[in-house]
Amino acid sequence: MNGRWIRPLAQMWVVMVLTALYIPIVSVVLASFANTRYMRFPHKEWTVAAYHEAVASPTTWDIHQVSFKIALCTVVLAVVLGTLGAMAFARYDWRGRSLFQKVLVLPIFFPQPVLGLAILLSLTAVGITPTWKTAVIAHLVWIVPIVTLVISIRLFGYDVAQEEAALDLGASRLQVIREVTLPALWPGIFSGATFAFLLSWANLPLSIYTTGIDNTLPSWLFARTATNYSPIVPAVAVIGTLVSAFVVVALVTLRALAARLRTPS
Amino acid sequence: MTARLSPGVVYAAPVILFLTLAFAMPIGIVAWYSLMPPRTFDLTLAFTLENYRAAFVDGYGKPLMWSLIGATLTTLVCALLAWPTAKALHAHVGRAAAVVTALIALPIFISESVRLFGLSVFMMPKGGILAGSLNAFFGVQIGSILNTRAAALLGMIYIHFPFMLFPLILGVGMIPRDRVEAARDLGAGGWQVFREVELPLAAPGLMIGGLLTFVLALGANAEAAILGGRAVTVITAAIDQRFNYGQDWPSGAALTVLVILATVIIVAPVLARFDLARLTRR
Repeated sequence: MNGRWIRPLAQMWVVMVLTALYIPIVSVVLASFANTRYMRFPHKEWTVAAYHEAVASPTTWDIHQVSFKIALCTVVLAVVLGTLGAMAFARYDWRGRSLFQKVLVLPIFFPQPVLGLAILLSLTAVGITPTWKTAVIAHLVWIVPIVTLVISIRLFGYDVAQEEAALDLGASRLQVIREVTLPALWPGIFSGATFAFLLSWANLPLSIYTTGIDNTLPSWLFARTATNYSPIVPAVAVIGTLVSAFVVVALVTLRALAARLRTPS
Repeated sequence: MTARLSPGVVYAAPVILFLTLAFAMPIGIVAWYSLMPPRTFDLTLAFTLENYRAAFVDGYGKPLMWSLIGATLTTLVCALLAWPTAKALHAHVGRAAAVVTALIALPIFISESVRLFGLSVFMMPKGGILAGSLNAFFGVQIGSILNTRAAALLGMIYIHFPFMLFPLILGVGMIPRDRVEAARDLGAGGWQVFREVELPLAAPGLMIGGLLTFVLALGANAEAAILGGRAVTVITAAIDQRFNYGQDWPSGAALTVLVILATVIIVAPVLARFDLARLTRR
C-alpha cells in the first residue's frame, strides 16, 4: 500500500462515519420544523409551531417529569451502590473478588428488553403494579454495574498508603473516609453520576416494559413514532435531548465552580 | 463480629443483594414460569416442558432465528466498519482525535427512539428527508427501503456501532507501533501484518466489543418496530406478544429462557477467559 494515500483516506473515512452518525439526528431537527401531518420535505413552510404545541401540551411536561424522577433516583442509588461496589471491586483484595468482578458485569452483557420483560413478569407475578418506581429498579440493574466500573477505574490508580498515613497521624476512620478516600473518588463518582443520568434519561428498552402506565420521554416517543405521528414528536425529541444536554452542562459548570471555590487563588 | 468480615465482603454486600433481588430473582421466576403448563398464571403446578416443545413447533423458533441472524450480521458489519475507524482514530493523537471521539460517543446519550425516528424520517419514501431533497434539488426520484428487513438491519448497525467501536479503540490502542513496523521491515505484507500482528493484539477489545454488540442486538426490538414495519418479528417482540396479548406467561417465559440460554452460551466462555480487572486498569 502506498503510504501517502492512507492519511487522507483515513480522514475521509472518519468524516463519512461522523456524517452517517449525525444524519438521523439532523433529520429529527429538520422534521420538527414542519406543520404538516405527513412529512413533505423540503417543507413549504418552516415553522416552530410544533414547539409551541409541544410546550403547551401537558403530556410533554408529564413525560419529562417521569423521566427526571427516574433519572434522579437512579443517579442517587447508582452512585451509592456503585461507590460501595467499586471499593469491593478495586480497593480491597478479598477472597471472592474475581468472582464478584465477573458477576458484576453480567447485567451489562444481557439483552436489555429481555431483562425488562423478565422484571415485568416477576413484578406482576408477585402482585406489584409497575410504575416509574419499578423502572428505577430496572434501570439500576443495568446502570449500577456501569457506575461501579467507572468508579473502579479511578480507584485502581488510588494509593492506599494515603489512608494508612492519615490513620497513623491520628485521623479517625470516618475522617479518613471524608478527607482522604472520598476526595480521591470524587472524579469517578462525578463521571459515574453523569453516565447514570444520561443512560437513564435515554433508556428505551427497559422503560418500555417496566414503567406501567407512566410514560418516559423515550417510551412516549417510541409509541408515538409507531402510531399517531405528528410534528410534535420530533419537537418533543429535540426538547428532551436539549434538556439532558443542559443538565450535563449545568453539572460540569457547577463542578468547575465548586473546584474553584475550594482552591482559593 | 463485623470486624471479622473482610471489608471487601462488606462493601460488596449491598450490590450483591441488589443484583440478587433485581437481576437473579426475575430470571429465576421466569425460568420457573417457563416450566408451568401453558396459559396458567400459577407457580405451584407440576413442571412440564410443553412450552419449550411449543416454542419450536408453533413457529416461535423463527423470531429467535431472525434475532440470531440479525445480531450476527450486525456484529460482523459493525466490526468491519469499526476496525478502520478505530485505526484512523488511533493513528491521530491529539486534540482533533479527542474531539472526533467525543462526537462519536455523543449519540449514545441520545435516546434510541429519537435516533431511530430520525433514521425513519430520513429514509421515508417521497416526502422523507433524503427522497424529498433529491427530488426537490436534483429532480431524482428514489424508492425507499423503509419497512423492510434491510432497514431494520441498518437501524441495528447504526445503533450498535459505538458499542463495537469503543472497546475496539481500546483494543487497537494495545498494538505497539514498533511491532507493526518490525513486521513490515521483515517483509510482511498488509494482510499479513493485519492477520498475524494487529488482530491478535487487538483481540481483547474486539471480543468485548463483539460480545456487547451481539448481546444488545440479540434483544433489540425498537429497530424492527420503527424501521422494519411488519417485515420481521424479532424475538423480543414475540415474547412481548406472548406476555401481553397472548396472555400466555409460561410460553413467553420459555422464549425468554431460550434467549437467555443463547446469551449465556455466547457470553460465558468469552468472559471467563478475560481478566476484567486487568482491562479496566489500563
